[in-house]
Amino acid sequence: MYVAGLDIGSTMTKVVIMDEEKILTSIIGPTGAEHRRLANRVMEDALSRANLSFDDITYVVATGYGRVNVPFADGQITEISCHARGVSSIFPTARTVIDIGGQDCKGIKLSGGKVVDFVMNDKCAAGTGRFLEVIAEALQVPLGEMGELSMKAKVKVKISNTCTVFAEQEVVSHLAEGASIADIVAGLHDAIAGRIHNMVERIGVESDVVVTGGGAKNIGLIRALEGKIGKSVLVPPEPLLTGALGAALLSRERAEKGRKEGSLPERERRLGEVTFFT
Amino acid sequence: MTYVGGIDVGAAFTKVVLLLETNILASSLMPSGGHYQATAEKVMAEAMSKASLSFDDIACVVATGYGASKVPFASQQVTDVSCQARGIYHLFPSVRTIIDIGGQSSKVIKVDDRGGVVNFVVSEKCAAGSGRFLQVIARVLGIDINDIGPLSLKAQKSAEFSTSCAVFAESEAISRIAEGTPKEEILAGVHKAMAAKIFSLVNRLGMESNCALTGGGAKDTGLVKSVALALGAEISVPMEPQTTAALGAALLAKEKRKRNV
Repeated sequence: MYVAGLDIGSTMTKVVIMDEEKILTSIIGPTGAEHRRLANRVMEDALSRANLSFDDITYVVATGYGRVNVPFADGQITEISCHARGVSSIFPTARTVIDIGGQDCKGIKLSGGKVVDFVMNDKCAAGTGRFLEVIAEALQVPLGEMGELSMKAKVKVKISNTCTVFAEQEVVSHLAEGASIADIVAGLHDAIAGRIHNMVERIGVESDVVVTGGGAKNIGLIRALEGKIGKSVLVPPEPLLTGALGAALLSRERAEKGRKEGSLPERERRLGEVTFFT
Repeated sequence: MTYVGGIDVGAAFTKVVLLLETNILASSLMPSGGHYQATAEKVMAEAMSKASLSFDDIACVVATGYGASKVPFASQQVTDVSCQARGIYHLFPSVRTIIDIGGQSSKVIKVDDRGGVVNFVVSEKCAAGSGRFLQVIARVLGIDINDIGPLSLKAQKSAEFSTSCAVFAESEAISRIAEGTPKEEILAGVHKAMAAKIFSLVNRLGMESNCALTGGGAKDTGLVKSVALALGAEISVPMEPQTTAALGAALLAKEKRKRNV
């Protein structure tokens, strides 16, 4: 039996394909503007990597921002539940999940692997991956290099603006005043970490803390968050995939239950045009 | 007969108003740029040349705004809130609520029947309620900021924005353009989002009629209309909405001068 979890985020689309025991393949591709209608390609790529055809898949759970627009999904589950499930499978001791996504940021509180509370910011770019993206562009530093770069900082340049638009301008003036890029980036990580920490504090930060999402790939941001929280955090080997992994695991549970009850969906799947954001 | 001046060094523009008693002789403005002092001197020189005055003719200058401390020729600094209230009281004595939409902030000022400040609230943490939001959107639409108002008034309906964050709205605007939504509908949507932000700012103080809109945002007729709609009130807009705080500063300079004489 094969199952799939599909996490359509605002920035990246992720797919995990599993059998009863293990992950067969996982893939991450951009959701981005020009790829929107082509996000099912990510699914096709994942299938071809796993040497499977679409008909081999017993159950598909879609999650994330674009989950309602996946015609071939058998179920939709919120990203909160999927992240919780995915993180718990990797770190059973996790009590707090901080997910730093491309356009939002979430804090999830877990107890025995179940979601007991959560908090989310998707209204303001500050404290999300978007903030880093905008500033990285202003500094002309590749996003993926921001973390390592900030580790070379001698001091943290204080960024006093919260708003991404104003902070971008502030960064430009720090540059003009001769501040080093490393010091500025370190200051930015500190500012975002402060904002994320404030948000997650609303539900309480309990150990173990796991950080996921694209933001977790930034070592500078992770260190800054640890500084704010006052303890070390855990990061999954592939922090972008926990939502899709959770979706695949929940998919498997549903498929097993469905098989027992003889209630598995038998409709024809259509890997046609997946429409998003229409 | 005394000549006095007011200078308002804002985050986006520097404005000067020169008065003879309470009559406006000249006003001038230009972008503040990176060097406030040099800009202040330039704007002042331009206004003086319009009024055919020299520095020696001007008895007193009051400076206000974000960069007020960078004006060496000012004899006093007064907050922009007080100057704005004073300037609007001079133009519209019946106004009790002033909404100022500046380049990087927006303010709501409640004034009493003598032009005194009763209370005020400033939003400067977020670009959403400020002129900066309009600039960001004008750039992605490839239009001049001064064309936003007239163009938006042509919209039959407005595009919906899911958040008022300027950064997110920018990407939403790009998606709408890609989908073929007319520019005017995108602009009308931006105005609606900004008006909602202004509305909640006004509500923190409580709205009292009459209402005036100042700052660069007041030059955008579409935004004025959206704010009026959101507030359910008529809104007075000065002829030169960007120079009202400078006008107030000049009036305060005249009063200060009177006291000293």
